[in-house]
Amino acid sequence: MYRRHKRYKVIAALLLFAMAQLAMQIAFAASTSPTPNAAPIPQQFIARLTTKNNQPITVNGNSAATGASIVTGATIETGADQSATVNLGSLGTLDIAPNTKLVLTYDENGHIKVTLIYGCAVVAAKKKTTAEVGTEQGGTAAKTDSAKGGIIDICFPAGAAAPTVGQGAAAAAGAGAGAGAAAAGSSAGGLFGIGLPATIAIATLGTLAAATPIVAFQNNPSGV
Amino acid sequence: MLPDNSQRVGAIVRPPISVLGIVVCLLLIVWSGQYGLSRVLGRYALLTHSISAAAEAVRLTPWDPDAHRALSTTFREVHMFREAEREVALAASLRPNDDLLWLDLGTARDQLEDAQGALSAFDQAVTRAPYYAHTRWERANVRLRMGRYDEAFAELREAAKSNRMYLSTLIDLAWGLSRGDAKETEQLAGIESANSRVEFARFLALKGEGTETLEQYKQAESCFTEVQKRQLVQSLMAAHEYEAAFAIWSGADSKSSIYDGGFEGVISFDEVGFGWHVPRAQSNIEVSLDTSEKESGSKSIRVAYKGDSPPESPVLTQTVVVKPNQTYRIYFAVKANNIVSGGLPVFAVNDARSNTVLSITNLPENDGAWEKRTLEFTTAPTCQAIALSLKRKQCQSSPCPIFGTIWLDGFAIEELKL
Repeated sequence: MYRRHKRYKVIAALLLFAMAQLAMQIAFAASTSPTPNAAPIPQQFIARLTTKNNQPITVNGNSAATGASIVTGATIETGADQSATVNLGSLGTLDIAPNTKLVLTYDENGHIKVTLIYGCAVVAAKKKTTAEVGTEQGGTAAKTDSAKGGIIDICFPAGAAAPTVGQGAAAAAGAGAGAGAAAAGSSAGGLFGIGLPATIAIATLGTLAAATPIVAFQNNPSGV
Repeated sequence: MLPDNSQRVGAIVRPPISVLGIVVCLLLIVWSGQYGLSRVLGRYALLTHSISAAAEAVRLTPWDPDAHRALSTTFREVHMFREAEREVALAASLRPNDDLLWLDLGTARDQLEDAQGALSAFDQAVTRAPYYAHTRWERANVRLRMGRYDEAFAELREAAKSNRMYLSTLIDLAWGLSRGDAKETEQLAGIESANSRVEFARFLALKGEGTETLEQYKQAESCFTEVQKRQLVQSLMAAHEYEAAFAIWSGADSKSSIYDGGFEGVISFDEVGFGWHVPRAQSNIEVSLDTSEKESGSKSIRVAYKGDSPPESPVLTQTVVVKPNQTYRIYFAVKANNIVSGGLPVFAVNDARSNTVLSITNLPENDGAWEKRTLEFTTAPTCQAIALSLKRKQCQSSPCPIFGTIWLDGFAIEELKL
């Protein structure tokens, strides 16, 4: 009888130990990061950035490259030789030229607003979207018709009195992530169809690479 | 003498082995030539965005993932996203342990608005480089755009923990998505450590959120360097958040007082905050502390005018925190020596936010003893701070020179109970 009691005690102690171990494991496995938002964030559309050659640009003072998320109200700035495209999904796209600073706001109800501080941009609004482009001082410079959609090309160089709208100046200034590379796909003759200058450049590179050891070993004392 | 057996076998075997060796060598030469040329073409293609060159590189070495990657990049640059995705998928299949190729594939699929495909590619990138922040950051951005906010922010926080470079962008994203809610931003961005509080306080100050900035500052006060503290004060003052700026600057709650009203301390050109501010570049004006002339204490401030200077530019200023709808009286002492000008010196009190003049007094011109002056004014309902300044009246003509010396001392402010 006494022996059986002892056995129960051992089993109970073992069970207690096992449960304590489990409790500890669970406690350690719990996430250390704080419980996120008590009030969940309402679902909203978030735009996507693509930059030319994946070069970083500035969004709200931070560096951002292709794949970055752009929320409404963002201040986007490009430097010289940097351009970008913001994909606004069902609303349209915004192409930004080099040396541009603007504020982009949008909503799910089909509104895009671009406030150009300086530089050039092209807004392409899809149907059921109203795109509005303007400057800080001058208010709205152009607006698209939501029934048709449309494209607005606007340039407002630093120090200019008023923006230039619809004259293709922004496109000419290289707005958009794909700007400046459009002609690259064409075949231009030469070796492998890469063009004569390229063929000459590659051949020169190859010749130089091959000639380097010959020139270098000209004075080799052990040479025959 | 007849050759023995081994010599005979050698004579038979040697020529084919030599031929085989030569063939192998030739093949190796051809392959290495192809490989080298392919690499040169690939690099050339990337530099010049030439699809033809990149395609030729792929034709020469179809087994080389770098050639496919170069072709993919050139396709992407001319917005041929489908082709770009196909090529980088081939590259990733040829070198599956390279996280950068999976990242490129994820980006290409994201560009095609194939969020699920992008996510699976980014999953592979994270598996291949689990301790790097960039893989998690890219994946989290896709999740964010898919509306999976909890998962996205958990991963963004992890990425920012392992690479602090991402913290400011994380705070900015959280701020944007929470529509400017500081509490929610704090939770979403996982602001827990002292370093992250420093960054968050800096962000809030730039946004002009005075109360929240002060709250974050108090929670990590000892971790702020003097430079960071000055930046906070500067940002808050620029946003007209004077109470919070004063609390950070002085380490005390706001109380209407003039700092160093007797000019007994040191005055520096780069003063940021609520002390006396003297602009560094002032033409024909000398500002100095004077121990020989004083109304009280051991020093006064001496302003010597020596020619033409812009009348509206203040020579000496101080911002003082005040209560709205409150009447105040400011006391000070002044002494002059041969002031001659078309635009004589004045001392003014302005609303720091709106710049509205609340009170102004003319200063003496001729030699004499110290004079006591008072300025009385009532603040507007929105007024948080006032700006005291020594400047000049507008001139009728330009240029407008001024000569002579002014001494100021014994500034004090009193809250009047009416």
